[in-house]
Amino acid sequence: MSDEKEFKPVTVDKLIPNTFDLGNLATFDPNPLDNVKLRDESQKEQYLSSVTRDNVQLLINQILSLPVKTTTDTHGSSTGQNSTMTLIQLPEPTTQLPREKAIPKAKAPTKWEQFAARKGIKAKTKDGKMVYDEAKGEWVPKWGYKGKNKDLDDQWLVEVDDKVKNTEEELIDPRTLGRAERKRLIKKNELQHKRNMKNQS
Amino acid sequence: MIRTIKPKNARSKRALAKKEAKLVENTKTALFVPGATGNKLLHDAMCDLMALKKPEAKKFSKKNEIRPFEDASELEFFSEKNDTSLMVFSSHNKKRPNTLIFTRFFNHKVYDMIELSIQNNVKLLQDFKKLTFTIGLKPMFVFNGPAFDNHPVFQHLKSLFLDFYRGEETDLQDVAGLQHIIALSVGEIEDLNETKNLPLLHFRVYRLKTYKSGQKVPRVEIDEIGPRFDFKIGRRVTPAPEVEKDANQKPKQLEAKVKKNVSTDFMGDKVAQIHVGKQDLGKLQTRKMKGLKSKYDQDSDFDNESEDFMDEDIEYDAPQPKKQKV
Repeated sequence: MSDEKEFKPVTVDKLIPNTFDLGNLATFDPNPLDNVKLRDESQKEQYLSSVTRDNVQLLINQILSLPVKTTTDTHGSSTGQNSTMTLIQLPEPTTQLPREKAIPKAKAPTKWEQFAARKGIKAKTKDGKMVYDEAKGEWVPKWGYKGKNKDLDDQWLVEVDDKVKNTEEELIDPRTLGRAERKRLIKKNELQHKRNMKNQS
Repeated sequence: MIRTIKPKNARSKRALAKKEAKLVENTKTALFVPGATGNKLLHDAMCDLMALKKPEAKKFSKKNEIRPFEDASELEFFSEKNDTSLMVFSSHNKKRPNTLIFTRFFNHKVYDMIELSIQNNVKLLQDFKKLTFTIGLKPMFVFNGPAFDNHPVFQHLKSLFLDFYRGEETDLQDVAGLQHIIALSVGEIEDLNETKNLPLLHFRVYRLKTYKSGQKVPRVEIDEIGPRFDFKIGRRVTPAPEVEKDANQKPKQLEAKVKKNVSTDFMGDKVAQIHVGKQDLGKLQTRKMKGLKSKYDQDSDFDNESEDFMDEDIEYDAPQPKKQKV
């Protein structure tokens, strides 16, 4: 194969040009096959593979002319050595194939989301779960285990809230009142969540 | 319908989330179900078809007394239980010997079905005894014959085999991963209106070999590695039009957004048209002088002069409409 004359050609002549779906690595040959050759058992396999070879050549020519992306990601090797990979960038598949499942529907907005949209309220930016506790000098969670909202629970002296003054709750321990309020909010939130889930289905 | 319960732990939650309908879908998996009347040839053929589909394939070993064209509800159950949308069912009887039924599912309901009978000219992977391909690679497809473009049955077959074997949908392909070719060929159809005697579908799998050609693109040769099947086309079930429409919908969220007023000129440079809002010259900030402050305006006659001189060192704020906090 040293002489250039010995190389076989890489071009193929077709009466009708092939169409390609390079996203699926497919080629469609619209040239009719010869029925006589297909019926003849002795020629059939040879004929099929020669036709296929020509089409594969055309397909490979097309694939290799696509833009190339070279990466240096490590892949598959445990030694961690970098090796370059030549990847061909394929276009979007053009053949329409049916989906496996229907397109997922968008979730129905919750009652709060509806209200916020009506009033033009934007979602708060998330600033994390931790807050700085100046008394302790460290970062503590806003809620949950050792949360900041439970600060009052283990104080030896707690101020009575103005709201409960002169009511029958005045004599109840304000710590238990605070705890009850937290439990009430959790229950309320669960109820709202349940209602929203019910509206969605 | 399979009863679904609320997941109680993270693992089962993840498993359920995997099954959910998604915008970008999972690779379709195939299930191979032997029928009650299967034989060795059908078993071997299914094994070989599965070898091509691996690793997205599952196989049942027990025989199943099902007639898919009469009642496919059990297949639908299998599809839902195993979360597969492609199925191959084997059956063998005197009227329709050695048949494989290729079924596709949409939302775990039968989408389309086609019956293919294996003809005598069979050569399996084990008969070839050749070096095959690495599993899980995307094959290349070659469709020979104009029937794949214009005959409904062969369009169905083209769509089916592309869907079945194309594997993962990707935009990057490794050159080394181009190893095998699935070739489907069909002879010329003499009479387009004839539906009974359709030509055979030739299913061939080849391995790619490349040689130096003295140019950038290599010279390609192919080597058959099997399996080799000739299929005779039997019964067929087509999708209902409304189901077909649903299944072929493309999610709007995935469509690329069209950028307005941006184009590429003939030199390949990006050209854009920019619209600048009209400038209000009345609000233009000129040199600041005490005498130009609006409280000294001629028409403001409600405050007398003596006061003006008294509060001249107080900073003056022009009354501005307060922005509403959002």
